Amino acid sequence: MTQPDATPHKKEWGDPGEPRTRLRVSVNGKEVCADVPDRLLLSDFLRDDLGLTALKVGCGEGACGACTILIDGEAARSCTQLAVQTEGAEIVTLEGMNAAGGLNRVQQLFQQHHALQCGYCTPGWLMTVYSMMKRSVCPDSEEVGRHLSGHICRCTGYRNIWAAVRHALSETDGSGVTGEQ
Amino acid sequence: MTEETPIYARRSRGRRYAGEAVLRAEDEQLLRGAGGFLPDLPASHAAEICMVRSTQPHAIVRSVRRERALGSPGVIAVLAADDLEFVDDALPCVDMIPGTMDVRQRVIARDRVRYVGQIVAIVVAENRYLAEDAAALVEIDYEPLPPITDHMAAKEPGATLLYPELGTNVVYQVKQRDGNPDFAAREGDLVIRKRFEFHRQTAIPMEPRGVIAKLIDNGERVHVESPTQLPQVLRSALAGAFGLRPDRIRVTAPRLGGGFGCKEMVYPEELLVPAVARKLQRPVRWLEDRREHFAATTHAREETIDAEAVVAPDGTFVGLRIKGWANTGAAYGFVGNTPITAMGAMVRGPYRVPNLDSHMFSVVTNKTPLNVLRGAGAPQAALLMERLLDEAARMLKIDRAEIRRRNLIQPSELPLDRGRTEFAGAYSVLYDEGDYPRCFEAALKLAEYESFEAERKAAAERGKLRGLGISMYVEITAVGPSETARIALQPDGTVLLYSSIMPVGQGSETVQRQLIAEELGIAMEQVAIRQGDTDEVPDAVGTFASRGAAVGGAVGRLAARELVKRIVECCAAACACDSAALRWEFGGVKFPGPADEFVPMAEIPARLATLRRVAEATPEKIEAKYRLEVPRPSYAYAAHVAVVEIDPQTGRIEIPRYTVAHDCGKIINPLLVEGQIVGGVVQGIGEVLRERLVYDSAGDLKTRAMMDYVLPGPSDAPADFRLWHMETPTSFNPFGMRGVGEGGTIGAHGAISNAVADALRDYEIAVEGSGPFTPTWVMETLQRPRRAGPDENRS
Repeated sequence: MTQPDATPHKKEWGDPGEPRTRLRVSVNGKEVCADVPDRLLLSDFLRDDLGLTALKVGCGEGACGACTILIDGEAARSCTQLAVQTEGAEIVTLEGMNAAGGLNRVQQLFQQHHALQCGYCTPGWLMTVYSMMKRSVCPDSEEVGRHLSGHICRCTGYRNIWAAVRHALSETDGSGVTGEQ
Repeated sequence: MTEETPIYARRSRGRRYAGEAVLRAEDEQLLRGAGGFLPDLPASHAAEICMVRSTQPHAIVRSVRRERALGSPGVIAVLAADDLEFVDDALPCVDMIPGTMDVRQRVIARDRVRYVGQIVAIVVAENRYLAEDAAALVEIDYEPLPPITDHMAAKEPGATLLYPELGTNVVYQVKQRDGNPDFAAREGDLVIRKRFEFHRQTAIPMEPRGVIAKLIDNGERVHVESPTQLPQVLRSALAGAFGLRPDRIRVTAPRLGGGFGCKEMVYPEELLVPAVARKLQRPVRWLEDRREHFAATTHAREETIDAEAVVAPDGTFVGLRIKGWANTGAAYGFVGNTPITAMGAMVRGPYRVPNLDSHMFSVVTNKTPLNVLRGAGAPQAALLMERLLDEAARMLKIDRAEIRRRNLIQPSELPLDRGRTEFAGAYSVLYDEGDYPRCFEAALKLAEYESFEAERKAAAERGKLRGLGISMYVEITAVGPSETARIALQPDGTVLLYSSIMPVGQGSETVQRQLIAEELGIAMEQVAIRQGDTDEVPDAVGTFASRGAAVGGAVGRLAARELVKRIVECCAAACACDSAALRWEFGGVKFPGPADEFVPMAEIPARLATLRRVAEATPEKIEAKYRLEVPRPSYAYAAHVAVVEIDPQTGRIEIPRYTVAHDCGKIINPLLVEGQIVGGVVQGIGEVLRERLVYDSAGDLKTRAMMDYVLPGPSDAPADFRLWHMETPTSFNPFGMRGVGEGGTIGAHGAISNAVADALRDYEIAVEGSGPFTPTWVMETLQRPRRAGPDENRS
């Protein structure tokens, strides 16, 4: 078990009088153990304490999907739960899905279909696609729309996102997804 | 060629980049989650700020008591207006023409608050959680004043005044006239009078705002990081606010997570956060949360317009008279008066309408300041004209396409002077080259207009109401007054462009690299780009009004052309020959002599280093700068055709087909142009069908979250999107380019509104901007009486 690496984003969460809990969690395959304030949001823990800034906070209320990560393999919002709620869980962020260099298959398809513009919402979409691939969601099923409806993108008009997602899901073996997992 | 061949040499002669659907290199960082947005930047030493914002729409601030807040754990400071010194505390506004009353926003409320969300105090603490705890303990004693949020009431004499010293809430007016503004109806002419009410909206970029400020260079300079569309304007504002020379300020803007106009603004926080850093002598950071974003980031669109059109019996428009009032909110935005200027300037779009009398006013109210949003005032302008055309067609029993044909400006009439304007960066509206009728016919054909009635009937048999709407527009794009770029040959033989255009998602990095690679005849991989640092590009204008590719791209390419001259001069000096003897071709320099030697750009720095031993005159650094004057904007245009289908059981409006034919001049990258148009259209669909900011009667903003403010989602994208590019180069741009970033949104307002009206044509309804057309609105409409006959308005 290791302490989280020191990162340039690390915040002191202040008030020593504040209730804290020891949190043990697996993040991108690494065991992490930290004393965190009970009220610390999971998104802040991942971004500020662990420096995993790929997830974005767009709304802080679970409406936009930019902060989506995988918790025990399921796509989940990190901005509307507390870090302490994930005790014992396996968390994967986009950093955990990235190839050592360049782009993995799903990321390549997003680029080829021009499925991102400003790119702020993109990490969230990718995590939902990974979770759909794990479930082998059929690219032409209505289920795709139900998964995607949890995300907002203000730039693309969604057309190219649909195309990239369907393309990714049609490559059913999921072998294109690389990463530390 | 072998694998070992360097990439620049692999480029075949004559290969082009401009016009190609090149994939974006910037995607790699973004897709790996390493985009480097402001909240991602290192700030571990920064104290965190939470703004204490007014909960009152209109009140005297009697006192700000901070004792309890100061006693809260981790608090570093609690500051109010009196604690911060500004040489000039007014935020800049560029569109104050002579006669405009000064209602520029002040950075922090002094004695009076004028909208919910205005900053009253600043809490600085060790982290955001502790700052928020303490902010809740700041006690502000307000003496409430009656709020006024309705601009139509605020403009009347006797209304509550926001600025009593001005004696009125009507603070700005602008006229636009053309032909005979005193035109009148002749016998037999149709007179259409309509009131258009455009509802209040906001951009909601996925990334909220934020500011990091710190002292640098031994405390002698202030470094401000902010995701702004206008880093250089912010630097000037900071210099003015602090009374410092501009070179004492460094602004760096990271990549923006969307802008859409709401970041074309200098915000109070962008001056306050650096002021706190200076006062406390330590780095500070403020990150906006979405809840405060709704009240603290500028709003857009809200206007009421009375329009009167005189139409001859054959359907040609004789004249248009409009009088309108914008709900400006509590103070000017940076370009807060631009939307109503655009209304007068652009309302006639591609239609002749020889006579125009437009008179528009800005009215202050107790709402968040109004500013621009994708399209500025043009979406409202196009909607207004297109609704009048549909009404005229209905009343005169002329086909909707035919009435437009009779009014369209013909190519032979272009260029066409449409009169003087106060639109910033343009002095008169002078349409450039184009073929509006061809664009129009192309859209109708692609949209299957001729067979639509059969489609309507087939839908009716399924129990659905189908409607079709047409909207054209002409858009003022690529505005001036000028732009500057700098480009340098790097020691490794690549070039680096210092650009004035901020990446907001539009792909500016890729298009600028394409144009430079094209100009120099090198590979795109040999072109790097940096932007947003005022130390590197001190005198840029900024990113707005669809000018990034057309103006920013042009100036970068012209700077590259200058760089070639410099390279050739340096090579000539180094080999002590006449520069006329050297030639630049296919990405390198051809040296004279029997060998007729070709040196590719990548090898030039090394070659110069060798030659420098013999010729002392060669400079270390090869750089060029170019300033492009843009005396005239160029005018992009498009025709949109929307088909909507309404389910009368649920009130849901779907968009089975959407068609756009457009002309943005020479296209640099069709992939990105398509992305801009589709994204813009869906944003427009959301604005017409979903989004609305709601204030209650007490002046409080009720829509404070994405859960309240419904944005278009994945299922709102048109099922079948058809796009046709026309490329008529404009002579107003050195490379024939016009802007395309906003057009999608401009066309969607009129096309969707007309389509909804067409689907519900049997009912008495108003779609004159009075959206959004939510399912509730549809269900209520279907309860209304059926329409009477068309003839009562004849004069």
